[in-house]
Amino acid sequence: MARILAVDDSPSMRQLVKLALSSAGHEVDVATDGVEALQVAERRQFDVVITDVNMPNMDGIALVRELRSRAAYRFVPLLMLTTESTAERKQQGKAAGATGWLVKPFDPDRLLSIVSKVLS
Amino acid sequence: MGAAVAAVPCRCETLGVSAEAAAILLSFAMRETEAPAVELGQALERLAQGLRPLEGGIVREALAGEIAACVRALQFHDRLMQQLAVIRNLFTRLTDHPLPQMAGFGAQRWEELLAALRERLAAGSHDELFELLVRTGGVGVSGDGGAEQPEGSCELF
Repeated sequence: MARILAVDDSPSMRQLVKLALSSAGHEVDVATDGVEALQVAERRQFDVVITDVNMPNMDGIALVRELRSRAAYRFVPLLMLTTESTAERKQQGKAAGATGWLVKPFDPDRLLSIVSKVLS
Repeated sequence: MGAAVAAVPCRCETLGVSAEAAAILLSFAMRETEAPAVELGQALERLAQGLRPLEGGIVREALAGEIAACVRALQFHDRLMQQLAVIRNLFTRLTDHPLPQMAGFGAQRWEELLAALRERLAAGSHDELFELLVRTGGVGVSGDGGAEQPEGSCELF
């Protein structure tokens, strides 16, 4: 089972992502924005990071860019989970170093299968 | 005749105050709905935890499927919050005053804010609409989410 960091400024979304992943036995930590996520990720190594895009203080794309600049997260799967679905934003995510782009609302089983896929 | 025309406030001014009132009411309504959504999420988590010790079977699978359906459906609340935040921000651009910080917004401050808005709102339909929104928008005038008439209460005559 994996250690996963879920980042979202919405309390209910953090809960739902945590619920979906922990039901399959994954260990899930949460953060409310990019700044907090960086602090959590520096204290503890995660196998996967799932982040929203639009958040206060530091958005998801900036978070991915920051994580990719750190040796410990250079090869860690970083997934964007967002309501945004424009090609332009996806391109920004890809350029920052994101591994994938999931559009909300997510299906719990689908999220689990994507996590398994990026972990393998 | 001329005096009556002069008494009508400038349309731009009325629009600014209305937009401010709408933005504030939206902020309060959004803040109020956050806690019940989190509560629902916590209840789902407890249900999921309760299912874990159970061995696989039709009932367990069915309940897990129901929880997954709730997880999918509850995300639409988050989507609605995002849409409302965009609308609130659009209203905010029309206002003449910066919106107050809503965090830790107490009853006294809320009443002061309402009084100031009432004073600035044009009389007539705007005022009536504002009062209607305050009553039905899930924002009690006491600033504590409607403590005067608790949710689920019933009054019989």
